[in-house]
Amino acid sequence: MNKLIAILLLITTYSWSQTPINYENEDYYYLNRSHHLKIELVKNQLQIENEVLEKAKYNTGNQLYFANDFIPFDSFTEIDNIKAFTENEGEQIFVDHFEPKDQFGGGVFFSDQQSINFVFPVVGPGAETTLTYTERIKDPHFLGAFRFGTYVPTQNATYTIEVPKGVELGFKEFNLDSLDITFKKIEHKKSTTFTWTAKNIQQYRKNNKSLSILNYIPHVIVYIKSYTVKRKVISVLNDVQDLYSWYVSLVNQIDDDDLTEVYAIADNLTKDISNESKKAKAIFNWVQNNINYVAFEDGLGGFIPRSAGSVCNKKYGDCKDMANLLFVMLNHVDVEAYHTWIGTRDRPYSYFEIPTPIVDNHMITTAIIDGKTVFLDATDSYVPFGMPSSFTQGKEALIGISDKEFKIIKVPIQAKEKSQTFIETEINLNGNLVTAKSSRTMTGYDMVNFIVDAKFKKDDTSHEAYLNTKFAIGNNKTTYSNINFGELSTKNGRYTLQYDLEINNYARTFGSKLILNMNLEKLLSKDIILVENEKFGRSIDHKFVREYKTTLIIPEGYELNYIPKDISNELEDYGFSFSYKKEGNTLILHQKVYINVLALQNKDFEDYNIFIKSLLKAYKKSVRLDKIQ
Amino acid sequence: MNKIILIIAIFTSSISFSQYYTTYDWEANPTIHTINDSDNMESSLAILKRKIIEFRRSETNNNISIFETTHDIIRLNDETGILRHNQVYIPMFGVKKLQEIKARTISKDGTVTNLDEKNIKKIENVEEYGDFQIFAIEGAEIDSEIEILYTVEKDYSPFGTEMLQSNYPIKRVEMVFITNGLSEYIKTYNTDQEFERTYLDNLLVEELSLSNIPKIAEEEYSATDANKIYAAYQCFGNAEITQELLWNNTIGNIAYGLFPKEVQPSILNEIKNHLTTIDSITTDFEKAAIVDNYIKTNFTVIDNRNSQLEEIDYILTNRSSSDIGILKVYAHFLTALEIPYEIVVTSNRYTHRFDPEFFNPGALREFLIYLPKIKQYISPTRIDYRLSEAPANILGNYGVFIDKNIEYYFDKITQSDPDYSRIIRNMDISFIDDFERVKVDESQKYYGHWGVQNRAFMALTSGESKAGFEDYLTGSGIEDKKVISLELENTEMNQLTYNLPYIVNSTIESSTLIQDAGGSYIFEVGKIIGTQSELYQEKKRENPIEMQYPNQYNYSITVAIPEGYSLDGLESLVINKELVIDGIKLCWWHSNYEIKDNQLVITIEESYRVNDFPIEHYEGFRQVINAASDFNKAAILFTEE
Repeated sequence: MNKLIAILLLITTYSWSQTPINYENEDYYYLNRSHHLKIELVKNQLQIENEVLEKAKYNTGNQLYFANDFIPFDSFTEIDNIKAFTENEGEQIFVDHFEPKDQFGGGVFFSDQQSINFVFPVVGPGAETTLTYTERIKDPHFLGAFRFGTYVPTQNATYTIEVPKGVELGFKEFNLDSLDITFKKIEHKKSTTFTWTAKNIQQYRKNNKSLSILNYIPHVIVYIKSYTVKRKVISVLNDVQDLYSWYVSLVNQIDDDDLTEVYAIADNLTKDISNESKKAKAIFNWVQNNINYVAFEDGLGGFIPRSAGSVCNKKYGDCKDMANLLFVMLNHVDVEAYHTWIGTRDRPYSYFEIPTPIVDNHMITTAIIDGKTVFLDATDSYVPFGMPSSFTQGKEALIGISDKEFKIIKVPIQAKEKSQTFIETEINLNGNLVTAKSSRTMTGYDMVNFIVDAKFKKDDTSHEAYLNTKFAIGNNKTTYSNINFGELSTKNGRYTLQYDLEINNYARTFGSKLILNMNLEKLLSKDIILVENEKFGRSIDHKFVREYKTTLIIPEGYELNYIPKDISNELEDYGFSFSYKKEGNTLILHQKVYINVLALQNKDFEDYNIFIKSLLKAYKKSVRLDKIQ
Repeated sequence: MNKIILIIAIFTSSISFSQYYTTYDWEANPTIHTINDSDNMESSLAILKRKIIEFRRSETNNNISIFETTHDIIRLNDETGILRHNQVYIPMFGVKKLQEIKARTISKDGTVTNLDEKNIKKIENVEEYGDFQIFAIEGAEIDSEIEILYTVEKDYSPFGTEMLQSNYPIKRVEMVFITNGLSEYIKTYNTDQEFERTYLDNLLVEELSLSNIPKIAEEEYSATDANKIYAAYQCFGNAEITQELLWNNTIGNIAYGLFPKEVQPSILNEIKNHLTTIDSITTDFEKAAIVDNYIKTNFTVIDNRNSQLEEIDYILTNRSSSDIGILKVYAHFLTALEIPYEIVVTSNRYTHRFDPEFFNPGALREFLIYLPKIKQYISPTRIDYRLSEAPANILGNYGVFIDKNIEYYFDKITQSDPDYSRIIRNMDISFIDDFERVKVDESQKYYGHWGVQNRAFMALTSGESKAGFEDYLTGSGIEDKKVISLELENTEMNQLTYNLPYIVNSTIESSTLIQDAGGSYIFEVGKIIGTQSELYQEKKRENPIEMQYPNQYNYSITVAIPEGYSLDGLESLVINKELVIDGIKLCWWHSNYEIKDNQLVITIEESYRVNDFPIEHYEGFRQVINAASDFNKAAILFTEE
């Protein structure tokens, strides 16, 4: 440390307002979490080490499972100097058993993710545990990030980066506004240090329906822009061009030695087609149907697609393998196609803000068809040709045009009208028994989600129990018959399911009155948000429109005594309309419910609840028939 | 628990041939099999599952080795089928050597794609499963067949089991058991078919052939895994070995260290320093509860490869223990406090039915401590349980009970108190703002397993699942339910009183329980008992009925009738269903009502006296279960007079 000549360049204190944390009420929390990232130039090579410290405290014995801890690493990192101990009444007891394990599961078939697992001894009320280790980062593209918050509260969190002169660092802060945090930049003679010091950071735990926690958790992402060796500037991730050039260098390592079979398949699929769009569709559908998605995460190999020939032969591959196969096949039949990198919706980052590999985690193919840009993701085996996969909507796609040229285009968010379900039902009444004939026609993501779910779940249980759980129509006495799944496929762009229903005790007879609620299905009826339980915004899979046409055949000997009033509440982001119409001996209910957003922010929750309550009120209205005297 | 090690002396003479697997191979020119229409409806099915298990003693060093050959042919009919089978994991636990792995895909047109051995990957120390070699099937497509053939040479273990039923149909299972003159026992479960002695290539073998094995039926209230067809086997170098000898041997090994003659001084210190009130306690129940609470609050049971976790000194220093190690801790505490106990070794009844007649160490994975004087159990590795009846997943299974003289007996693990688990719910219902909303004041008492589980759930979970549980406690399935108040009593997991109820007092409001039908109001009273799912039976029931535990609900629901309104539809509240077997009423639902003092009072009793019911009484059982979902739809019409 060259303390004498250090110059304090900057101190920033962020505004903050949050509820204080009462640590005494916590079962377990962090006293201190810190990363000290030190970058050095040793013999003209970058050397990067991250010193990690985690110090935690148990107030009770309720959450002793936190004693089971692990240090994750992969082939880009090495872990060293691990020290872990528990302090109890001044006595330190060290962990004496560390066990390396390969990570497994989570939808990934083979991964280079490993962990060193251990258990803190003597944990219990009053115990404090300390873990320190060094993480050696082997590739300068993966400096990572520091998260100030985690799954339990943290009293103090510090992130320090020490960079020698000659290394240019880039960083980007996310969600620091709500924190009690100070930032300092100090310049020394040979290095610069950046330090963020935060206090009293609340816990961050995501609900199932929440938007990605990365939208909320305070964190800093750092990356090396460039470094200078012998007066020569070596770029690492100075800008998107650098990131792209690195990706190109990896993609250029694809071993495309024998493409005879791939070309033959592409030729055969398109031999009688001259239309560009139809050619692309034939090839896309072939890859969707014939290549099975098997995920690999294996070091840099995780960034280099396997050869199209081998993927075709083995009939399996991960996203980059499928994207590259599409790229090869489409270009072969003269459809302009490009390798494309993209982050899924749970990564809220932009290439322009942080030109690093942390932005993306997925690869697709972009095709230019009849002058239009079409995003093709064959890992989604059921998404219709022309629609992007739902989890890439609204995301930046980094499209590789040539070795030097790239484009960044946002994947369009699909309009609600593209994902529609239309349910047509005819109801007959016999006392309390409702019998009905129904058909459901779906398009877009509504269709995709149903097909995927039905394909993989319908055989685990009876078809009837499956549909009952899936739709919750009528009541728990609903029985299905004549279920016709038809061909479970999305290839025609729409899918229709038919079934008959018998719902016992659904209508109510009280003396001469017969009361029926025509809303057999109550979409969104359980969607009231418990604002106090949901700290983060809600994610919505896709925009959609659901329409119902429900026709009641008025039973003989009865007359309509009460028809609920028409009601609608059609807003920009969501809405509904209910209208009843009497035609001859039938009463027809037209119902429409739609959602026109992909996220609900916390500030929108109250309005959304008012909307749902108005919908529930509409659902409460029943039709009354009286026996003709 | 997998730590039971048997030391068995081996003496027999050896015989010399080459191993059977060396001559076994798949068809040189495979063709696709013909299947019928119903098989074609399945996502996938096994055409063949062949397992050859050969025990052989080495001529050079007298050691016994095991050669296990797996040969599967699987038909893939759709994408689900492909995803079910296209990733292969070969467990390496106990494997000395993996012989050649072969895998191929035979497509509909007869094209064969062979596995490239370069694509086989190794993964190590995966969770509790150990090491694996893994590969993805190459060339898998709809209407193709995949074929896998490999042999592993394993370290000698005299015991094994082979699962012969799966979640897809199997056209043919063949299991060949070769012992080359060594002593053997083999038994099949959940099928009437047994192994037959026959000759295979001049080799005397035991062979089992089964045809058309259906896929396992996933049914509610069933122990599906325990009902799967499987074979258990044993092979020894010593012909003298009997099941009794095996039990004796194992009991001796297990009991070692679990009935200490002298209590570890450090444990006496723990008692002196931390269980300071114990001397004033007079009942065994309270004493044992104090011990159980203390150990569960201060020690962590972990599962890793650290062998010291079984040593009492190490455990006391580190407060970490293996599952066997923690039994030793209990043993010292109970011995010090002179509380008589027995060690119980058994299995999870949902995965394995304990068989006293056939020793199968792989199934002995659950350990309990039984306190015969008070007829209660300690579940040493269950952080959710405290001194009580046996946990739900054990209850009803057999187990081996070991006493302090290292003598043992087999017995069924039962509940000493038939009324242990009960829920009492009292509700007061009123209407607000002219039938705009319903208010429900509820007081609930959860006894027995219900109470234990509620306490554990609320103490050990957080966030979303805790919120979900609070929803259950205040009546699930009420769409716009607003919880006005929720108070919980007796929530602390560490309790000293026998069967202290978990108490829930709550007030909720909802508007969706009332439907508006133009001047009349329908109150969906049935919904306030929470979501009740209908038990369907489209297909013939396959599994006998297994409930979690015997239990009973008693409800008293009082509805204040607003002045000037008349009631209709009360008949929907009266439901009576019961199942009587051999003159004994084993389960029932009775609901009724009366009107007094301008109040409608509904009473319900739902009771299940046992936790298992024979398959032939399924329909009767189903009717009782479904009575709850019938009541769930009960509704009353309020009309202004």
